[in-house]
Amino acid sequence: MSRKLWFPAQRWAIALIGAVLMARAAPGANTFGQVVTIGGEAIDIALDESRGVLYIANFTANRIDVMSLANYAIQTSINVAAQPSSISLSPDNHWLLVAHYGDTTPPATQSNLLTLIDLTAANSKQTFALGNPPLGVAFGIDDKALVVTTTQFILFDPALGTTQILQTVAQVATNAIPQPPATFPLGFTEAGVATSKDGLTVAGFGGSTTAGLLFKYAVADHTITASSWGATPPLGPRAVSVADDGSQFSLGWWTLDPNFYIQSIFNGNPVGLYTPAVGYLNIGSSIIDSSRGLIYAQIPPTGTPTTGNTNTPILQILDADNLTSHDNLMLPENLAGKSVITNDHNTVYAISDSGVTVLPVGNLNGTPRLKMSASDLVFRGNFCNRSVATQTLTITDPGGNSTPFTIGSSTAGLTVSPSSGVTPAIITVTVNPNTFASQKGTVTAALTLSSTVAANLPPAVRVLINSQDVSQRGNFTDIPGRVVDILPDPTRNVYYILRQDANQLLVFNSINNVQTATLRTCTTPTSMAITFDQQYMLVGCKNSHYISMFDLDLLQALPPIVSNSDYVISIAASSNAILASTFSAADGTYGIDQIDLVNRVFSRLPTLGVWQNGMLATDSALAATSNGAQILVAGADGSVLIYDANAGTFTISRHDFTSLAGSFAASSFGQFIVGNHLLNASGVRQLDLPTTTGNPSGFAFVDAGGYYTTAPGSASPGVIQTVDLTTGNSVQPTSMVEAPVLSPTAFQPATATNSTTTTTTTTGNTTATTTTVINGTNISTSTVTCTNTASGSTSTTLCTNTSSSSTVTLPPPPNAFTRSLAPLPARNSIISLTTSGFTVLPWTYAASVAPPQVAAVVSAADGVSPAAPGGLISIYGNQLSATNLATSEIPLPTALANSCLTVNGEPMPLIFVSPNQVNAQMPSQAVGDVTLNVHTPGGISDNFNLVVQPTAPAVFLSGVAGPQTNIPTIIRAANNQLVTDSNPIHPNDTLIIYLTGCGVTNPVVADGLPAPSSPLANAVAFPQLSIGGANLPVLFGGLTPGEVGLCQINAQVPANAPQGLSMPLSITQGAMTQTLNLRVVN
Amino acid sequence: MKLASKLAVCAAAFAASVAAPMAMAQSWEFGGGVGGGFYTSQDVSGSAGSAAAKLATNIAGSAWLTNNGAGHWGGELRYDYQLGDLQLNGAGTSASFAAYSQAFHYDALWYPMRSGSRIRPFVSAGAGVKIFKGTGAQVAYQPLNQIALLTQAQDLTPMASVGAGVKIQLASRVSLRIELHDYLTPFPKQVITPNAGEKVSGLGWLQDFVPMVGVSYTSAGR
Repeated sequence: MSRKLWFPAQRWAIALIGAVLMARAAPGANTFGQVVTIGGEAIDIALDESRGVLYIANFTANRIDVMSLANYAIQTSINVAAQPSSISLSPDNHWLLVAHYGDTTPPATQSNLLTLIDLTAANSKQTFALGNPPLGVAFGIDDKALVVTTTQFILFDPALGTTQILQTVAQVATNAIPQPPATFPLGFTEAGVATSKDGLTVAGFGGSTTAGLLFKYAVADHTITASSWGATPPLGPRAVSVADDGSQFSLGWWTLDPNFYIQSIFNGNPVGLYTPAVGYLNIGSSIIDSSRGLIYAQIPPTGTPTTGNTNTPILQILDADNLTSHDNLMLPENLAGKSVITNDHNTVYAISDSGVTVLPVGNLNGTPRLKMSASDLVFRGNFCNRSVATQTLTITDPGGNSTPFTIGSSTAGLTVSPSSGVTPAIITVTVNPNTFASQKGTVTAALTLSSTVAANLPPAVRVLINSQDVSQRGNFTDIPGRVVDILPDPTRNVYYILRQDANQLLVFNSINNVQTATLRTCTTPTSMAITFDQQYMLVGCKNSHYISMFDLDLLQALPPIVSNSDYVISIAASSNAILASTFSAADGTYGIDQIDLVNRVFSRLPTLGVWQNGMLATDSALAATSNGAQILVAGADGSVLIYDANAGTFTISRHDFTSLAGSFAASSFGQFIVGNHLLNASGVRQLDLPTTTGNPSGFAFVDAGGYYTTAPGSASPGVIQTVDLTTGNSVQPTSMVEAPVLSPTAFQPATATNSTTTTTTTTGNTTATTTTVINGTNISTSTVTCTNTASGSTSTTLCTNTSSSSTVTLPPPPNAFTRSLAPLPARNSIISLTTSGFTVLPWTYAASVAPPQVAAVVSAADGVSPAAPGGLISIYGNQLSATNLATSEIPLPTALANSCLTVNGEPMPLIFVSPNQVNAQMPSQAVGDVTLNVHTPGGISDNFNLVVQPTAPAVFLSGVAGPQTNIPTIIRAANNQLVTDSNPIHPNDTLIIYLTGCGVTNPVVADGLPAPSSPLANAVAFPQLSIGGANLPVLFGGLTPGEVGLCQINAQVPANAPQGLSMPLSITQGAMTQTLNLRVVN
Repeated sequence: MKLASKLAVCAAAFAASVAAPMAMAQSWEFGGGVGGGFYTSQDVSGSAGSAAAKLATNIAGSAWLTNNGAGHWGGELRYDYQLGDLQLNGAGTSASFAAYSQAFHYDALWYPMRSGSRIRPFVSAGAGVKIFKGTGAQVAYQPLNQIALLTQAQDLTPMASVGAGVKIQLASRVSLRIELHDYLTPFPKQVITPNAGEKVSGLGWLQDFVPMVGVSYTSAGR
């Protein structure tokens, strides 16, 4: 009886255990990937797509588990000798080679073996003894396997069972068995090996946690190229991935090119500021997806706990070349070593804590994710418009799934509606400007998105709220992410901005401040320099051994300049040398490198003139004089060096300050600025610039003086001023629209975070307590191990104390110095990097401005027709704006470059402003007699009275064909080209006419917003068209979807349209008609 | 002149030219030939400048039905097809536009030698119509479009034809024809349209010289 009751319960228990062990594959509600549990410690995997299985080397269970690719079940296991540590499948799918790590501590004897499994003969096995512990095996395309041991590279021929020593290597440190509990397999062998998909390249690495050997085996000629490596923190995870063609390796927290130059360092913290990897050997993985140019990686950051798996493992999806982030997905558990990808590149199998995790990277759309339509939202209040502002944000699931979400902000005055929902959803973001009215700079807030279902971690939307006062000058342009450097091009009417988070060099036209190009840089760019011949741009990066180089005439990337061990902090070009301040991973020092453009390498100068190199501050900024005669090196530790190009060496080295930060600049007249200090040609302080308006951000020498920007904080308005370099006095300090970028360290020297960590481990009757103290750059570790021995009622505790101390190598700190100011060579504007991106200031930003005057208001389409509600208009006059500025922001801003316009008191959406012309949208409520005013820092214009017609169709005369201009924007659908005399209208043609002034639409479209595509906004007053007296059937008349204020008429030309070189096309809407003459042929 | 009225004028001229030889017909000959077309150019000029306009040299093909009398006279109905891009050359640049032309005409033939000769030279004269058709891709801007416009239009023009050649008997019913024609048409202003203020210089006629080699089959013995 009891047995019957017990039995079903047992079956349920077994089923439950089975579900946990074998089918823990059920993905978590909001994680990506499926875990397959093997009941042991996986150390290597090999993919056999021909048989539809994955071989898993189960290190601790002494078997090869065979997992079905169809249902992810462990369908069988192949028992092998002890500790299978590495496996590889021959390209012909005949052999599975297994290396056994038998490096044991005496009295046990070593049993290092190879097992060769013939997959075509019922998995029959042969074993071969090895003299040394094997680190890895990998087959090449020739069906011969490279066997890497601690002392030799061996070529193994499975068909003949022969071995051939290719090369011997120095002893590579490994750990003997047994190891303390909770040591994972990669900690034994400390190695990883992988083969490219073309089978021509095998790459791998091994060694201790902080040093070892990298190697590359060329299968074609059986040659091995090796290089030693060193890393702090340890180079983990011990996973290797090779690009399909062998052109790139990913291992540990590095990506390397085929010459072992480090292309990129992984960011351990993809959802925040850059954080170094923690370097655990057994947590994380990476795999190169050559078909998509991506890398999938889990690289745990510093601070990840070693035990308990309490961190949230994150799979980063990154560009392979510079690790620009695309998305971050939460994993069900930590990956733990090698990953492999299928031949169709759609599925990754990765070793993980429980065995293997299956990642369907080719079907990301099958996983719930969230994506927002914008990375930044900009709210511009201004002195014309203090009303509540709203914008919309669309939240979607890229896979089209209905994914629930919650969105919100902790910033008062910033609200969202609805705050939760299911994708797709449109969220209305509302800003109450009264909340921010007293805040004169730009407030940066965040909208955070979360979900209990989505597997990704979408970045927060940055919300920028600015309430510009009439006294604040400049107009800011939003650049999402982090901008770190700006340089004007002396010869090309462009300027360059470095966007660090996206690894981009942005190129802007200096006439209209519109971005014209985006160039990809090396990883985490810090600084840029234009070569003295003005032909090339060099971009240094702090997470790469590359310097990116671009041809500035072609705006094309050139092959990078490389270093063996150095990362660039700052770079500058003089007339005879290009120098960079660098961090050397080889010795952990900071020094000056010279860039050799001919050989495309950069390396440490042996000395800095009479001074030692390698003793710079952790952060040093370089600035060259415009005549190329000198380079200033300013150190965050208060040191200053000056390189003299004529002497070809450093001639000045002083240490007069305890710390330096903020602005830095070099003048061709023997003066330098560091922070707020003006130095003479000998680097001696002459005087200090005022800091009463805040911390220095940017300085630029112009003529005998200079421009100088300061701000007390990033949310305050900045101040720009000119300074008298003979007295240090500030001249006409003027409030900016927002703060210039400030040094993150703000005069604070970079230091390590001090901390004390204590961990206690109990094994049996032994308790070990380890205390780690980080103080500055020193790490001290002490371990107290106590063993309790009980005998009868007597208990004895014996403790031993061991301690060690080392110096941690810190990554370069955030830039202490800021180059944020760029007066343009044409002297039309001054560009400042500011909180939101950059701000354009007129050259004479402080000049008193006469009040604006309005002379005419006409349709923007032809400059003649009257205005109509919702139509695009041009306002002509004088002093309408101090500078030229166009915007592509949506919704259209109601203030631009310190100008705003009102019609009967209502703000007018603006497109373009300049001193004599403003292009804007007439508010849809304006009709009949209205009054227009222009507001600028110079005052308010006199009332300009005009009559706004209900409709005023006006075809844009902005068409251009060859040298011909002012062509009506009428398109023949037949060839999608403008109608001209050489592209005349034919009978039965469909014409698409772009115009403005079509009046009120149904549905009504809010001012400044683009017209919807569904439903289409039809003109209430339907247009009527004729050509030469023949009526044209109108197919559509209304607003062009996606455009602001732009109307479109689609009409068909009748078969009997009269022909002629100049036939009148009449467009009538309401009481207004416009007539254009066009050619019609048969 | 509208297209309909042009067609009527051309049809009348064609009917008149066909009538007389038909009454004397004794044998029928039909055949075809290939050759090339060589146009002369006309200047289009005005305030915007000057450009030479013509149709480019290209291949031509022809088919004919000939009625030969017993004496020195004959007549033939003829169809010609000729490729030739519209072309403008001037001011150091050029423009072209794909086009072709077709012609229907009737020519009277005069043989200096009576039928039965193995080699029969002949001269011809006649009239008909020619259709010019622009077929290129129209674009908003063409070079020289301030002077003239090349477009996807069609021009129907009257045509005068004169020519000379020789028939060489190859077999009892088969002859080889070698001939040269000169087709004269008014300037096709619909496909090569002088822009406003521009005019075609001179008389405004285009000549099209077409040398051709063909083969004829004669239906009845002479």
